[in-house]
Amino acid sequence: MPDAAPVALPTLYLFLLVLACGLSTYLWRGLGVLLSGRIAADGEFFNWAGCVAYAMIAGLTMRILLLPTGTLAATPLWARMLACAVALAVYLLCRRNLFIGIATGFVALTALLAMA
Amino acid sequence: MRESIGVPSMVLAAGYLGFGALANGNGFPLWAALLSTASIFALPGQLAMVEMSLAGTIATAIVVTVSLTAARFLPMTVTLIPVVRRPGRPAWQLYLAAHLLAMTGWAASMRRLPELQAGERLSWFVGFAVTNWVVCVLATLGGYGLADSLPTLVRQGLVFVGPLYFLLILTGETRTRQGIVALACGAVIGPLIHLVSPQWSVMLGGFIGGTFAWALARGNGRA
Repeated sequence: MPDAAPVALPTLYLFLLVLACGLSTYLWRGLGVLLSGRIAADGEFFNWAGCVAYAMIAGLTMRILLLPTGTLAATPLWARMLACAVALAVYLLCRRNLFIGIATGFVALTALLAMA
Repeated sequence: MRESIGVPSMVLAAGYLGFGALANGNGFPLWAALLSTASIFALPGQLAMVEMSLAGTIATAIVVTVSLTAARFLPMTVTLIPVVRRPGRPAWQLYLAAHLLAMTGWAASMRRLPELQAGERLSWFVGFAVTNWVVCVLATLGGYGLADSLPTLVRQGLVFVGPLYFLLILTGETRTRQGIVALACGAVIGPLIHLVSPQWSVMLGGFIGGTFAWALARGNGRA
């Protein structure tokens, strides 16, 4: 069962779009290299920048888990939350083994969806 | 190098398998999916691009949104580059290496690099990042090929792996108190802002949550 009806996008448009997204992503990486030479490496600015990076990823992660779009939007919130809790518990119990944690979350969500 | 072939690569591969499966399910061409992994190399931005382009969003809005989800790379690069920089190292090497910077490489590098000699750090980072980059491109291809034969349940499980990966690595690998406070602030503020302004939630949530955490940790340090 496809998630959506296939939409035909013009090849040249898509090619330029992907490249533009790649460039707009690189912009931040390149700017980071440029700026890093002009600011003291262990100053307060870097402390602040690290905090902003952590907060951005934490916010994005929680947003995707709580308010997903696309494929996950079709899954119930309780199943995603329960699978997260089980995965997190197993991950911490198994001495922070990332692979075991991820695999547990995958199996947990699939099983919960199958039962729901 | 050996460290990247283990768990981080397997987990990243799972996330990109999911991305490939999603792209296939939505009728997004294989070559464009592969090109996006190679040129963007940031899962949240790639997912946003696929979903928005198929929803018919105008290109300018897609590029701006993808760029905003990648704004997290600025503080990451700014903190990573001084660790690998050495006098006499040509700048183009750093600019090239920066393209390979992503969440996984940054988290692993910030933990491992300070333990290495200054001269070995850039090659450790590049070895780690190139391995992951190649694995991600191959996983996109694999996920795309597998998608037709995967049931919906398994596909949903695969897409779930992406955010779950971030949840676990951030919870388990953040050691500093300041980092933990920043995570908590971002986790609360990010989704709240999303309810008001979906396009700006990643960036604004990061700036507000991160600045708040930074100010809080600073105030505590003085007291």
